[in-house]
Amino acid sequence: MITGANVKRNHPSAPAGPCFLEDTVTFTSRKTALSGLALIGASALVLAGCAAAPEEETPGAAPTDEAPDFYPCMVSDAGGFDDKSFNQAGFMGLEDAANDLGVEFNAVESADENAYGPNVSSLVDEGCDLIVTVGFLLAEATTEASTANPDINFAIIDEFVEGENVKPIQFNTVEAAFLAGYAAASYSKTGFVGTFGGIQIPPVTIFMDGFVQGVEYHNEVKGTNVQALGWDFDGQTGAFTGGFAPGTEALTTAQGLIDQNVDVLMPVGGPIYQSAAEAIRDSDREIALIGVDSDVYETDPSVADLLLTSVLKNIAVGVYDVTTGAAEGNFDNTPFVGTLENGGLGLAPFHDFESKVSAELAAELEEVTAGIVAGDIEVTSPASPGQ
Amino acid sequence: MTAAPATTASAATTPGGASPIVVRSWKAPIAFAIFTVIAILLFFIVGRPDLDGGNPTTIYRLSEARDAIQLPPLTLGLAETTIVVVILMVAATIGAFLLARAAVRVPLWLTTIFAVLFLVGFLTWAAAGATVPMIGLLAGALTVSTPLIFGSLGGVISERVGVVNIAIEGQLLGGAFMAAMLGTLTGSPYVGLLGAMVAGALVSFVLAAFAIKYFVDQVIVGVVLNVLVLGLTSFLYSTVMVPNAETFNSPEKFERIAIPLLSEIPVLGPILFRQTVIVYLMYLAIFLVWFGLFKTRWGLRLRSVGEHPTAADTVGINVRATRFWNVLLAGAIVGGGGAFFTLAAVGSFGKDMTNGAGFIALAAVIFGRWDPIRATLAALLFGFATNLQSTLSIVGSPVPSEFMLMLPYVVTIVAVAGFVGVSRPPAASGKPYMKA
Repeated sequence: MITGANVKRNHPSAPAGPCFLEDTVTFTSRKTALSGLALIGASALVLAGCAAAPEEETPGAAPTDEAPDFYPCMVSDAGGFDDKSFNQAGFMGLEDAANDLGVEFNAVESADENAYGPNVSSLVDEGCDLIVTVGFLLAEATTEASTANPDINFAIIDEFVEGENVKPIQFNTVEAAFLAGYAAASYSKTGFVGTFGGIQIPPVTIFMDGFVQGVEYHNEVKGTNVQALGWDFDGQTGAFTGGFAPGTEALTTAQGLIDQNVDVLMPVGGPIYQSAAEAIRDSDREIALIGVDSDVYETDPSVADLLLTSVLKNIAVGVYDVTTGAAEGNFDNTPFVGTLENGGLGLAPFHDFESKVSAELAAELEEVTAGIVAGDIEVTSPASPGQ
Repeated sequence: MTAAPATTASAATTPGGASPIVVRSWKAPIAFAIFTVIAILLFFIVGRPDLDGGNPTTIYRLSEARDAIQLPPLTLGLAETTIVVVILMVAATIGAFLLARAAVRVPLWLTTIFAVLFLVGFLTWAAAGATVPMIGLLAGALTVSTPLIFGSLGGVISERVGVVNIAIEGQLLGGAFMAAMLGTLTGSPYVGLLGAMVAGALVSFVLAAFAIKYFVDQVIVGVVLNVLVLGLTSFLYSTVMVPNAETFNSPEKFERIAIPLLSEIPVLGPILFRQTVIVYLMYLAIFLVWFGLFKTRWGLRLRSVGEHPTAADTVGINVRATRFWNVLLAGAIVGGGGAFFTLAAVGSFGKDMTNGAGFIALAAVIFGRWDPIRATLAALLFGFATNLQSTLSIVGSPVPSEFMLMLPYVVTIVAVAGFVGVSRPPAASGKPYMKA
């Protein structure tokens, strides 16, 4: 369970992480007066980029000299390790693995997309044995660094990067999102459910593919006529906010869906669900929210009362397995693919909505899960790993 | 959108002689023609093959359940609407060509009618077979526009007084952060709003100090300030706000206040007059900035310092002090706009939540030719285009979503290039004033 991000910041004495000014910000100036200001700006960047840098084992863990000689590291995307979503989940996995192994680890947050490359290469210089890059957006930086450093192992979440030394940690999320779509269609009273994404990239659209197919499957077997808005599976086009910030675009997109009379909303993309929750509260209507990546009911209690369920992607498990495996010398480049079958995916409990969903829903979902695992129910997505 | 001086077909006298030069501008008619061709291509060549048979209709919902006066929804058939729209667009284009040949400037009303026609046709085409909630569409546009308008008002003041304000993004973000922080700590959104204004002014203070006192390049200071504020707020968000969200990041939001009578006006009432205090302050700010800049002594001094500081100095205006205080004022206005994010829209601070709004506000300043009213209109246009794309992508428009996300920027570029023409900044904007 993920309960907040403060776990990683209680070591004031820990050495600062590998963040170099010249890596983060580069500009030249002839004006001396500017240099002072530049320094302020640069140190702010460093503060942002390295806020989470001094990561080490929790107090009480085995001292490093007794531990195996293994140094795992991680780079977040711009969402940061406190995104209550996949960066945070990846961090938890790494932290747990390092604690169990009794080794030091290093995790660096990227302030923006310009920091991906420099952050990865600074970890290379730091002498990391395994570098986990969190997210599709770091694919390019990972490809470059893994090609240049064939003796260092890499693992990338949510994307396939080719290389002897790169292990992709991927999830066939469409399966779990299918369950969410089924549950949404079962819950909906207005006959409309909606989804929208941050940016149109495969790890986002795979959720929307599964959601829409789950709704269709419910219509098929239950004879309902629930419409899923915000994503056109056949055309692969839909509603996106253009970023992962919980700002006004996400708010108005959610409002647009609510104006179309939806009563279940699944925003896909880190913290944009916060804007959606605000739109729901403003509407004065009873609208349920579906979380993604982690059980948002646990990670963000402020929206707990709105949550129908969450699509679980056990990134932490994937990262843990790969990290401990690599420490024992069992590193290979076969992709880890999380599915409903291997427990890499799942649907969170209904929590407060237990009494509001139909009594048979839980049993039906188990049946659907079994059908997907057995291959009887066809669930596809162009974004699935290996497609 | 306004026609620019460059597009004006005017008779001018050459400095040396008496023979008048007739300037014919073909910009507007050509733009009209291009849009007419686009409309014909979209409506009749591309059509809506995805909708099978018959004549699909688009329903415009004009009232919400909570409105007092209920208007029936407006239903437009695709075929007849697009035919009528295209005929009128062709007529307007021919009219514009005739006007241009006669060296008469294409009037603003014709441009406006043309734009509205195109929009109605496009909406009916793109949303065929679906419902367009007009109130939601326009109210959402205002939500997206509000921080942009505050940002552009601050930008206008700052640039009019001679200091280029690239730091709008930082001022908005700083304001949003401080509003969330103080709003939660004190439990009062009003204190939060005040804090946001102070935060914006503080960012401006650094800009003003470096630009006015130390003559540092204003653009560079602005860029660095944006990075500084982003870094600082992200750092504080991660270390302070996330672990203690209850104590630091759950401000009470401003309540929506419905203004009696005005909020009952069909369609526009609920959009404009069922809003939070921040939006009402925005209406006031737009008027005050316009009135102040062009009708008061303060505005005259401010503009003279931005246009010709040496002349202003000669007549006894303290150039540096005028610049300093007005840049601070600009920052306070932008910071107040930042409070909209956390105290009116989203209700909690998020990392980089302004998402580039400050840069769009900067574009609105230039697009609006350094005029508060025009900059406001530019910000509204951008907000409308943004929300239009989101509404259309929800109802399932035939345009791919990647292209739809470009729409606001395309609209802005077309508008700037096609209708604004030459825009002239205040002459001394960006130039530090050094007393000889």
